[in-house]
Amino acid sequence: MEMKSYTFRIQRNRRNAEGGVESRWQEYKVEASDTTTILSALEEIKGHQDGSLTFRQSCRSAICGSCAMKISGRTRLACKTHVAKVAKNGVVEIAPQANQPVIKDLAIDIGPFFKRVHKITPYLQEGPESTKEVTKSSFDQVNHVTQCIMCGCCYSDCTMAEVSPEFAGPAALAKSFRFVSDPREGHKKSRLAQLAEPHNAWSCVRCAMCVESCPKDVAPMEAIVKLRTRMVAQGLNDGAGARHALAFHEDIQKSGDLNEFTLLQRTLGIFGAVSELGSALHLMKKGKIPSPFPHKADGLQEVRAIYAALEAHPVDVETKAADVAPE
Amino acid sequence: MNSHDLVIVGAGLAGMRAALEGVRAGINVAIVTKIHPLRSHSCAAQGGVNAAINPKDSWNSHAYDTVKGADFIGDEDAIELMAKEAPDSVLELDRMGCPFSRLEQGEVAQRPFGGASFDRTCYAADRTGQVMLHTLWEQLVKANVPVYEECHLQKLALDENGEVAGVVVYDIKNGNIFPIGAKGVLMATGGYGRVFQVSTNATTNTGDGMALALRAGAPLADMEFVQFHPTGLLTSGILMTEGCRGEGGYLINALGERFMGKYAPTKWELASRDVVSRAEQTEIIEGRGKNGGIFLDLRHLGAEKILERLPQVRQLSIDLEGVDPIHEPIPVRPTVHYSMGGIRTDMWGASPLKGLFAAGEAACVSVHGANRLGGNSLLDTIVFGKITGRKAVEYVTAQGAKNFPMREVELVKARIGELKSRRDFGLRPNELHHRLSTKMNQYVGVFRTKEDLQLALEQFPRIRKDYELIHLDDKSEVFNIDLLRAIELGHLIDLAECIVRGALAREESRGAHTRNDFPQRDDEAWRKHTLANWDVEKGEVALSYEAVRTVGNDNYVPKVRVY
Ligand SMILES: Cc1cc2nc3c(=O)[nH]c(=O)nc-3n(C[C@H](O)[C@H](O)[C@H](O)COP(=O)(O)OP(=O)(O)OC[C@H]3O[C@@H](n4cnc5c(N)ncnc54)[C@H](O)[C@@H]3O)c2cc1C
Ligand code: FES
Repeated sequence: MEMKSYTFRIQRNRRNAEGGVESRWQEYKVEASDTTTILSALEEIKGHQDGSLTFRQSCRSAICGSCAMKISGRTRLACKTHVAKVAKNGVVEIAPQANQPVIKDLAIDIGPFFKRVHKITPYLQEGPESTKEVTKSSFDQVNHVTQCIMCGCCYSDCTMAEVSPEFAGPAALAKSFRFVSDPREGHKKSRLAQLAEPHNAWSCVRCAMCVESCPKDVAPMEAIVKLRTRMVAQGLNDGAGARHALAFHEDIQKSGDLNEFTLLQRTLGIFGAVSELGSALHLMKKGKIPSPFPHKADGLQEVRAIYAALEAHPVDVETKAADVAPE
Repeated sequence: MNSHDLVIVGAGLAGMRAALEGVRAGINVAIVTKIHPLRSHSCAAQGGVNAAINPKDSWNSHAYDTVKGADFIGDEDAIELMAKEAPDSVLELDRMGCPFSRLEQGEVAQRPFGGASFDRTCYAADRTGQVMLHTLWEQLVKANVPVYEECHLQKLALDENGEVAGVVVYDIKNGNIFPIGAKGVLMATGGYGRVFQVSTNATTNTGDGMALALRAGAPLADMEFVQFHPTGLLTSGILMTEGCRGEGGYLINALGERFMGKYAPTKWELASRDVVSRAEQTEIIEGRGKNGGIFLDLRHLGAEKILERLPQVRQLSIDLEGVDPIHEPIPVRPTVHYSMGGIRTDMWGASPLKGLFAAGEAACVSVHGANRLGGNSLLDTIVFGKITGRKAVEYVTAQGAKNFPMREVELVKARIGELKSRRDFGLRPNELHHRLSTKMNQYVGVFRTKEDLQLALEQFPRIRKDYELIHLDDKSEVFNIDLLRAIELGHLIDLAECIVRGALAREESRGAHTRNDFPQRDDEAWRKHTLANWDVEKGEVALSYEAVRTVGNDNYVPKVRVY
């Protein structure tokens, strides 16, 4: 197979005595073919050039969740990513995951991420809402989110986590959806109530970064949206998040587009809106919020038609997802 | 000093299942694991887990298939126990929330697997191990079991009576070396795939528990039986599950011929793994392979079935081999996959070393004998996780406090200090690992001969000498993976020697062990377990033998295996 030479620019991190992190960039040259993964390139460096380069890995097959890192600006699994596909002008830039404390080089402290997962009561509970009978399709929803391998890619790329460390994050919320959807779960309502509290399901700004960065096609944001749909259906709609969704709904129906600026105010009231401005500005910087001036979308009729259709046939949050969705 | 009644090393399926027994019994149990529990290699299991849950199936049939698959060297009492316990163990996991794939009416679905006379492999698409592992982890969180995460077992500590008194551990996160006292230790550290250059295993599968048990005086059994999986990806060794063939996939050679009929006229692709791997290797040796491999052909299954049943496998093939199985056959070859051998235990998971227990791939109970059936290893982890966990609870409950030998901590500190202080002129750990593992692939493969095995054996004095000279690039305290790889390499060398010596001595062909110079199974002389012990004086591995445990069932009398 044809080999090409690439430059790996890798962020080397070290904790100093004061607990701060010292960073520098170091470059290595690696030969790679079309199917060489970032992980094998890193192993090549560690094995033959510099044994001190530190990163986590184990399965080499995108199933253990160890090797998530920032590769060319996006968080990806090193073992699933091809050098040739992400190199820019022959250079691959690698840094540790974002939104988490760094331990050394590309290894981060996974504690805070897992703490969030622990918080959602991550196990099935028997209770009054448990059903014993299941069918082939009972697990369709569950199956989709149980593809999650807890690698943390979504959390590292999450725009909300970046500004709000209290946010539960996409992986934990997707996992909570797994329990809310399981026919055998006995406390679905109280789980939903808990997830309606601040920093949970309603805090997601739906920037869809998690959907893009998830290497296992879990689409955490979809799970979050489904959680919200169920909350509203349960009447859990007097929180800020639910008001936001309802205002959103109103906007779309009226103009076919969102007025993000007044939306914020209608959701949070004027004081809340000011305090959230930081994250709004942040999103705007990332190009996630369009121009603040109200305008009507071109296909307003179509948008209204979609809405009418959706109201007539609501999103089926019980059984929609396919068994195991491939790419 | 931290102390617990029972310390379990390993947070894969076997370790976590055992821990739950400790919790249920109300003892003080803790887990030590070098990687986060969810990273354990059990997550990589794709195909499924065997259990006779269909009323038309029976545990007897499952036991018989296993005895036969094991080529009549499995311990029959343990095999029967596993087959009987299987349905409960799998359904228990189902109740815990494991999302197994379902039939229309909601029953757990089952697929055919190699060497089985019934479709008895329960599965969750092609990620059975992952969902089982996540489910057990959920239970671990629920039970609030203390876990020493990213802590690396360095040594098994024995008291003045030669009984297990705890472990010495290296904390990867900060470099601390500390003792953990325990009345009993349960080793659930998984397999050693890294002994070989190409394997389906994770890079963390370095057989630490087996090697440290060996050095502490426990025997390892049947190490020469190394399973080669018929379908590892040609370049990376990553697994294409047996489920591919279970779902109807073909094996074809470079001429496009479906060749298995020549070797297993009834079962074809679904013969036992040893049979299929030998067939493939024969095709390759006789010149009908391509680049040292043959092909797994799924094209006739059609896109829909591939996407529904084997989505992950398809993606892996695209990602790692650049081949989409919907359109092209996948290049594969026999690849080191599983260790039938391990720490020798009785049928309850107790080793001859007092206070040491073992379960899962690290153990040799032995339910797999000379060849493991697909789907029986996940089963082994949950059944013997439970049974061994119970046995260990029983044992520690009857024990008084142990004297922890603190000098063991000093020895580990000295050893690590010495490794780090070496001047930089020897090999890097990786370079020596490469030499060891390529030789193992070359000389201790699917087909073995006396000459090759001898060549392999002659390597060891040199390898051991070079090992004492390896140097580290990383001398730091925090997250020093370089250091860990060096330590793990020491374990791999010990285990490789057990494999080679066992294989050289065993002058017959049985299960996964095929000797070209002794092509027949020889029940008269060799229907027995190999035991490998560490000879402290000589600094090498010494062999002895032990009878197979039989139950006197006429069905289990050895006969020729045809599939
Ligand atoms: C790719 C693949 C696919 C497979 N598919 C199937 C299948 O479909 N069906 C089937 O039945 N079997 C399958 N198997 C086999 C099966 O998955 C394994 O044998 C089984 O999961 C092993 O589980 P375990 O609990 O013994 O060990 P593991 O899951 O490997 O866990 C080992 C644990 O030990 C810990 N550990 C190791 N060394 C140390 C140390 N020094 N200090 C501290 N902790 C340590 C690790 O951190 C880890 O937590 C497959 C195996 C592979 C490789
Ligand atoms: S190494 Fe396991 S996910 Fe990449």
